[in-house]
Amino acid sequence: MMSKTIMASLPQIYRGISAAKRRRTIILGTAAIGLLVLIGGATTPGFLTLDNLLIVIRAASITGIVALGMSYITISGNLFALSAEELAVLSACVFAWLMRAHYDLAAGLVLTLVFAGSAGGIQGAIIARGADPIITTLAFGALFRGVASLVSNNKNILLETDAAQWLGTGRPLGIPTQSWVFVILTIVAWFVLQRTRFGRQLLLIGANRQAAMATGFQVGQASLVALTLFGLCCGMAGISAASQFGLAVANLFDGLNVDVIAAVLVGGISLRGGQGTPLQAALGAIFIALLQNYMLLHSFTSGQRMLVVGCLVAAATLGFHIIQRRRA
Amino acid sequence: MNRWDIVTDLGMRIAFMAAVYGVFAIMLPSYRTVSGVAALLDGAVLIGVVAVGVGITMLAGEFDLSVGSLAAVVGVLTVNMIIAGMNVVPAVLIAILAAAIFGGLQGLVIAVTGINSLAFTIGTLICLRGFALIISNQNSVTIPVPRLGETDFLAARILGVLSPMSITMFSIFVLGFLFLNYTVWGREIYAIGGGRAEARAAGVSTIKPVVIAFAVSGALAGLGGALSSVRLGSATPLGFDTLLLSVVTACLMGGVALEGGRGSVFGIFIGLLTLRFLVGGAASLGAPYWLQSLAIGALLILAIVVQMLINIIRRHASDTRARPQSA
Repeated sequence: MMSKTIMASLPQIYRGISAAKRRRTIILGTAAIGLLVLIGGATTPGFLTLDNLLIVIRAASITGIVALGMSYITISGNLFALSAEELAVLSACVFAWLMRAHYDLAAGLVLTLVFAGSAGGIQGAIIARGADPIITTLAFGALFRGVASLVSNNKNILLETDAAQWLGTGRPLGIPTQSWVFVILTIVAWFVLQRTRFGRQLLLIGANRQAAMATGFQVGQASLVALTLFGLCCGMAGISAASQFGLAVANLFDGLNVDVIAAVLVGGISLRGGQGTPLQAALGAIFIALLQNYMLLHSFTSGQRMLVVGCLVAAATLGFHIIQRRRA
Repeated sequence: MNRWDIVTDLGMRIAFMAAVYGVFAIMLPSYRTVSGVAALLDGAVLIGVVAVGVGITMLAGEFDLSVGSLAAVVGVLTVNMIIAGMNVVPAVLIAILAAAIFGGLQGLVIAVTGINSLAFTIGTLICLRGFALIISNQNSVTIPVPRLGETDFLAARILGVLSPMSITMFSIFVLGFLFLNYTVWGREIYAIGGGRAEARAAGVSTIKPVVIAFAVSGALAGLGGALSSVRLGSATPLGFDTLLLSVVTACLMGGVALEGGRGSVFGIFIGLLTLRFLVGGAASLGAPYWLQSLAIGALLILAIVVQMLINIIRRHASDTRARPQSA
């Protein structure tokens, strides 16, 4: 019985990691961004300038960094996490508190990342035990938000030091630090998924959990690692924002959860798991930021911008779903 | 789960609810008065009404993330119609109808394409929030002061306990119970939630029950949004952003299984009371409003961990039972 299911699912696994399909989605994504850039450039003064494109990448970077972590969760077959916003806020609070307590920058960074990674890992450990990822992360999100409000007393926590300032506002080679982190992490995340044994196992586990289990892969461990990496990404987002504004506050990342999931979905990563790359999530984040930037330059109201982005997410999800169903 | 398991499960949930109530009743005199309990019930109306709808989509094996945004749209829509001169009751009814139609259409897309409802409702969640901002002109909308008297009937008390708000909530719970247990549509929702393929083999449409479940969920999110906006006399386009968390907590504390097919309206009611007693109690003890989130999160994590332990024990029990047979 079991071997039959594995045999039946083998083609599906190979399809899951087929390079051709992956390439097609990425080409599609790049083409969409290219088209938007061309249309935007032709109709909007000030859109096709280097400064503006740097602004777009920077606007995409916080969402993008977290979307990289989220893509690991989705690809490993764990749908998505609803605790990104809350964990990022709490990490910002932890970082601000450490800076305020005169820890030096390196210690602050390491401790905050250790904290964020373990906060993600705890969720991963529970999910690995068979709990539902949506509910688990929703619960931990509420808990993190509560703790963040508690430690900050629902007020601003000022860093009270300039030590971390360059992390948030520095521009090595003229490019903001967040954008550097975003680009480098995208390459690392992409490399890990495509070129390491762990990454390939993650894809297989996402594509077919039963088959992966029967093959002897540590299915639970994959959820644990995916959520830990996601936690680290949230931690980096928190550090970056806290050092940019010089403070941490409970509503620092309003709407981040939805933005990040939108980036993953617009990037064409299917919630069924087992397919997609972090690169697609990064492209999704950049595409949404480009669209937002275009609409801002055309003075759309925030309601109109949300409506457009929401329709884009729904349409992209539906479109990718129908394309993938036809191929399957 | 057989009938006995279901009864024990519900019994444990009721006992937990009673324990939460008991702990706060010892500390808070208001918990021991009729008017105090009535106030607690009034505070549960929004979450309760929406929880029945979300519970029904969960029973069908789907998940509707868009209820908070939909409630915000309906709230703004209702208040806008009242500002435009419409009477309160027809405005509420029209807004609920619109929400039901939207929910039904959303269910239709999900059922026909077979798309993951989590992914699709994230899209509509953003859309609806944008739409609420547009129709409210990015601002709170308020019922004009001279007409606020028309909404006073919602605060009246009948027999000292029940307000029209809590009567609505109880009616929704009773109707939801009757709908799920004694109508074909209700049984079909359980059937597709328990197993799509089996249900289809038994001749149950896999489209109609999903459409109905999402239409009900939309209508009840609309009812919750409309009632609480009218009661407040105003609606804000960014409101109801934490509604989903409370609603899902009520459903899970009440034993609705996320994978579908298991759970009951009575369970949701128990879950709702547990949540309400805890949050209301914490607030009465002077905890600031933002600590609600901490309490709800802890409650939900407790539910997840207990469920996990029960599963492990059950698996262990069935393993030890299976071993002698295989030997």
